[in-house]
Amino acid sequence: MKRSVLFIVLIVVAITLLLFSGKYFSKGGKAANVASAAFQGASDAPAKGALAPDFTLKTLDGKDVQLSSLRGKAVLLNFWATWCEPCKIEMPWLVDLQKKYRMQGLEIVGVAMDDSGEKTIADFAHKMQVNYTVLVGSEKVAQMYGGLDGLPTSFFLGRDGKVVDTALGLVSESTIEDAIKKSLATSGATNTAAAR
Amino acid sequence: MRRFLRLLAFIFASTPALLLAQSSSAIERVIAGPVSTVMVHKGSSTPVQFIFHVKPGYHINSNKPSTPELIPTVLSFSLPEDLVIGRMKYPAGALISFPFDPSQKLSVYSGDFTVKGLLIAQPKANPGPFTIHAELRYQACDNNACYPPKKLPLAFNVNIRSGGHSAPKARPNRTSPHIHGN
Repeated sequence: MKRSVLFIVLIVVAITLLLFSGKYFSKGGKAANVASAAFQGASDAPAKGALAPDFTLKTLDGKDVQLSSLRGKAVLLNFWATWCEPCKIEMPWLVDLQKKYRMQGLEIVGVAMDDSGEKTIADFAHKMQVNYTVLVGSEKVAQMYGGLDGLPTSFFLGRDGKVVDTALGLVSESTIEDAIKKSLATSGATNTAAAR
Repeated sequence: MRRFLRLLAFIFASTPALLLAQSSSAIERVIAGPVSTVMVHKGSSTPVQFIFHVKPGYHINSNKPSTPELIPTVLSFSLPEDLVIGRMKYPAGALISFPFDPSQKLSVYSGDFTVKGLLIAQPKANPGPFTIHAELRYQACDNNACYPPKKLPLAFNVNIRSGGHSAPKARPNRTSPHIHGN
């Protein structure tokens, strides 16, 4: 009798501990899981309606650009890399869209997630005839935007700095244009404090 | 009862490893196949091969990608002075066009691919067991996105035998350092 009670208690304890260990390890692997889930909608990425996390990054000629300084404009924040073929496909579209909507207040900001150096990025941007701002990305900014496991990833920001739409992976030019129109249609609230 | 306690101990010992393996394999888009222990006599060489599997839905650049911007798949080794690896042979990539750009064909690996090499034991190599660490650097994409370059670590055992027929002296296993950096 004593043995069977002990047996049952041990089983209960074992199951409880297994469940706890599972929880612990799933927490430990959070960064990795979030990264792989980027394309199922990373939970840490700013959601629609949220203020886009502010950052300051350098342009290819070394100037600082702070995202919140672009308040009042519709911003397409496009994360890309030179090794990303789908990113290369949408770059000519972005060039055209920047030309088309610049006067209405569109500011496309390409954030290069390469670790191959600024010259490689600059040469590539030149080859692709990029006419919009290109910033050199960082891991810190990637984490602010949900890990950016997959590229391209775009955030469409309204004039108030809030996320209007997102595009994970390559989407059609018309999808990008529709999201840009939504961003341009927002009204600016330039005195809103940036999310940090 | 003792049998049960042993079973319980085994479950506890293996659970963290299993969970860790699951959480890390969830983000790996390439898996390395097992490599059986390589036997080589000192002063001679033996062919070695490494089998990799690219998960369904993904592709990685071949060792010779179609454009210079693309990151090639490269297998690198951390070897002790006793061993050298040479004649690395990567398979040719399949030339495939993807939905994101049907006009361009990219040289890629998908499914299984094998990298071959020749493992050479130096004439002055110390006989005995070694654990060799290697790393596959790859950059994966699917049909509409690309993922940052990754390094897949792997390890395999090598047993260097002395040239003659005498049994090798028992020596502790030596482990090559893990590869770090880019």
